[in-house]
Amino acid sequence: MNADTGALDEMDFRIIEYLRRDGRMSFKALADALTTSEVTVRARVRRLEETNSLRVVAVTDYEAMGYSTMLAVGVQVEDRPAEDVARDLAQFPEVFSICQVVGHLDIETLAVAQDQEGISRLLTRLAAVPGVRRLEPSVALDVLKNQSNWVPFDKNNKTTGVLEAC
Amino acid sequence: MLKKSLDDLDRNIVSALADDARISNRKIAGDLGITEGTVRSRIKRMEQEGQLHLTAVTNIDRLRSPTLAYIWIEVERSAQCDALAEQLAQVPEIGFVGKMLGRFDLLAITLVQDNAELASFLRREVTGLPGVRRTECSLGVDFVKHDYRMGRIVKVDDGDN
Repeated sequence: MNADTGALDEMDFRIIEYLRRDGRMSFKALADALTTSEVTVRARVRRLEETNSLRVVAVTDYEAMGYSTMLAVGVQVEDRPAEDVARDLAQFPEVFSICQVVGHLDIETLAVAQDQEGISRLLTRLAAVPGVRRLEPSVALDVLKNQSNWVPFDKNNKTTGVLEAC
Repeated sequence: MLKKSLDDLDRNIVSALADDARISNRKIAGDLGITEGTVRSRIKRMEQEGQLHLTAVTNIDRLRSPTLAYIWIEVERSAQCDALAEQLAQVPEIGFVGKMLGRFDLLAITLVQDNAELASFLRREVTGLPGVRRTECSLGVDFVKHDYRMGRIVKVDDGDN
């Protein structure tokens, strides 16, 4: 990593690549794979973590968390800044991904529900958020991939709430 | 076929791993008052059953291409939908692929630098695929939240994603 700009170099990206496959790969195994010393790898990983570039986390499958359905809900906003609406939506544990967008919608979200009734209840609650004009929901019949390798770290990606909710 | 739901102990272990999965099994065992062997075998079972993946995530602000693009796709013929979804899932830059009911037929999510890169990505990886009739995109300006516990764990053994 470049000390001034914080830009990641080739070795950082290779470390990340290995830790994507196995987040608990030992420093020793990482060092062997990269033909460098354990000290170097340890320092690199610590540095990546300290600069908020990397985290090793537990990703769970939404079905294992007790949800059966994933849906994408587009949101059109009126009479209120979209970032304020987005912040309110972030309070819902079922709404697990939120991005303010440009296009014919103002916010795109991904959410989970336990069943059809759960979808209906969730949409009713989302529609009641001040500033929400229209919801454009779309239910996923099948999710072939949801990797979420890249996430925002410092804002609202709180990890509490979902366990309690299901 | 839905995946088996995690029980209370599984969930407690997942919580302990949530923010730093490199924490030792010994520490988790101590905190939860169970044996290290139980922690190890539970983690192994959850990984084998595709319920859990301990993995590195990187901060989107550090990425060279920091904008999310939601690509909504309408297929030419409905029969082409499954094959097209499979093909999109093979594209490494695409992080999410879902077969959808409602708006459009498929949703793919990727990361791009800007509008120009989105246009070239679409040309290169999406619009040329058989069955793509029409696409509509929303380009992200601010990625507010992502809870990585709602993933879709597909590959379990080689995990080369």
